[in-house]
Amino acid sequence: MSRGSETLNGGGVERRNLESLGEKMQLSSVFQAGGLNYALISDMETNKTIISELPPTLSEEFGALLRGSGAEPGSPLVLEAGGRVEGYGVFEFSYGPTSWGVPEAGAFSLMTYGERILKVVPRLNFKKRGVERAVLGLTPEDALLFVERSAGNFSAAYSTCFATAVEDALGLGVPSEARWTRAVALELERIYNHLYVFGRLAEAASQNIAATQTHALRERVLRLNSRHFGHRYLFGINSIGGVRRGLPKDERSALTTEVRLVAREFSELVQYFLSSRIFLDRLQGTAKLTRKDAFGLGTVGPSARGSGVQWDDRLTFPLEPYEDIYVNLETEDGEDTMARTMVRVREVESSSIALRELLDRMPSDGTKSGPDRRRADGLGAGFSFCRVESPSGDLIQVVQLDGGGRVSGLHVRPPSLVNWLPFARSLEGTVFTDFQFAFESFGLSFADSDR
Amino acid sequence: MPKIWILRGLKKGILTTAYPKSQPTSEEVPTRSLPPRPTDAADWPAGERGCPTGAIDSGDKKVDLGRCVYCRFCSSAGFAFEDGFGSRAGAMQASLTGNCATGTRHIFGRSFHVMMIDVGSCNACNLEVLNLSNPYYDLSRMGIAFTNSPKHADALIVVGALNQAMVDVLRRTYESMPEPKLVLSVGACAISGGIFRGAEGFVSPAGDAIPVDVVVPGCPPSPVQILEGLLLAAGRLKEEGVRR
Ligand code: SF4
Ligand code: SF4
Repeated sequence: MSRGSETLNGGGVERRNLESLGEKMQLSSVFQAGGLNYALISDMETNKTIISELPPTLSEEFGALLRGSGAEPGSPLVLEAGGRVEGYGVFEFSYGPTSWGVPEAGAFSLMTYGERILKVVPRLNFKKRGVERAVLGLTPEDALLFVERSAGNFSAAYSTCFATAVEDALGLGVPSEARWTRAVALELERIYNHLYVFGRLAEAASQNIAATQTHALRERVLRLNSRHFGHRYLFGINSIGGVRRGLPKDERSALTTEVRLVAREFSELVQYFLSSRIFLDRLQGTAKLTRKDAFGLGTVGPSARGSGVQWDDRLTFPLEPYEDIYVNLETEDGEDTMARTMVRVREVESSSIALRELLDRMPSDGTKSGPDRRRADGLGAGFSFCRVESPSGDLIQVVQLDGGGRVSGLHVRPPSLVNWLPFARSLEGTVFTDFQFAFESFGLSFADSDR
Repeated sequence: MPKIWILRGLKKGILTTAYPKSQPTSEEVPTRSLPPRPTDAADWPAGERGCPTGAIDSGDKKVDLGRCVYCRFCSSAGFAFEDGFGSRAGAMQASLTGNCATGTRHIFGRSFHVMMIDVGSCNACNLEVLNLSNPYYDLSRMGIAFTNSPKHADALIVVGALNQAMVDVLRRTYESMPEPKLVLSVGACAISGGIFRGAEGFVSPAGDAIPVDVVVPGCPPSPVQILEGLLLAAGRLKEEGVRR
């Protein structure tokens, strides 16, 4: 039996067993619960999430994804799709796990004959801590500490996803104010991550003033996080059944104003730098990912939307309050680094508008559910899941609780994990100098994919 | 066209922190970076829920900041957290380990090259280290610069919970640095494993693999706290307090 999140998303979830994937369906994740294998499928036609027992036909690419979700700490994960590249003068070049343009531990093998990249193979799990196993047997409240530290820069998405799935399993009624407060944190997180990506792209293009100014704007958002939520990276904001601190009324308008200022300054900055040919030339046509590949490889988030794939969990799996507020689905058809960047640029703007609405209309029914609302009848009898649109795309978590309400299973499908292969594909046939641009524009994080 | 950037700079005034000339502000050391302080009412060890990282030692009645992840679960058990300004100096918490010879530190004058290595972090510590080069902290004004090569590094910042896959990489990186060299463990993960102390992926504190000179507690420590660690490492700070 599954509770799913049926009650929250206005019928966005369907339970039915499929024989095979339909043409417009994307396999988003595969997990085990109660001895059965399930597939979580995104239907791009109806915008529904389908939970099915595992259909027999799975494409080769997803084999890697599945191995990835089961990988254990200490075992390297090589995300190789397709055959090896051979030919005269082809050699392999390794990058990482330290000393290069990415400030995280992770590696790549690049196949090249000298000038062009023929193939990129990401090598992961240098930083696998094993969050999914570390939380087994813990109370959900203690497990939150691990979950929110899976990927520090997506921590609001991680903790909201986990808390929501647990609350569903427990049948906890969570006050609207708490859910709206979580959404405020999610949008702030989106803004500072998008600013990070833009800043890093500007660095890669040696646009130092743009980079510095963008990083300064991001610092302002981090300080807003700290002032209003107590933590620069939004750790510790959630608890099971609510949030640990609400936003008092007098703080809300100040926050709205600050965010508007940041968004306005950012858009001025973007306008100026997008009038610079140097910057444009570096982004346009760089690292193309066709719409067909983006869909077929299971790409998520701004990277998918930059190739015209229309999916955003805020609209297709809307938790409260996303059914009630206006969020624009930002997509682009350019399929290149420029398109992915423009999706993020416009999402900074639309997030700031959403934030204003969230803060304006936030209900006042409290920030925590009362203990009396706790129901334990659904425990030990299935799984519940949640999807949250993190800054880099769809994050999925499937949670199981035992009869005593402790965590007995956690499956995480991080956004970065499914974006590695699209990233690798986008680099095939390009030159080395495109690498950094592709990497930054996909918003990839090793902490996130390794967890 | 570059003119507008100069104007913008003037319009904004000075963003850069006054630290270390004066105490950092509460914006610069956020409340969640302030350590728990046992009060008389404190309940050892940390109430029924306990401390999730074992940072609270009820025998010695001490809080081990190297383990603390600043979750504040112990606040319900009578441990106090300063939210106001009060003792800003108390927020500065980097410290020297027994390894660090004071003589070594004074060799580093106005040019100090730092490399960061990630051995299994959640990425927040990495970001806080990188943030030191944004205009709010402006590391370069103190002659400190980041480098990507261990061969050019005077100091190594280690972040993250040391993973099996990174043990050799960490050792080799350390070995290829020229002497004299300093190592900073930044964040609970690097110092003790932090929240991941019991996780399968965690091998040991960074200090068990290579000698560590300075620890900077926090989860993550804020940029000024990391800056404090760097100044301390470079011998530009008295053991406590603020000075150039
Ligand atoms: S803040 Fe958390 S980790 Fe630190 S001593 Fe208190 S309970 Fe332990
Ligand atoms: S100390 Fe905290 S912030 Fe730093 S890497 Fe570890 S979990 Fe992340």
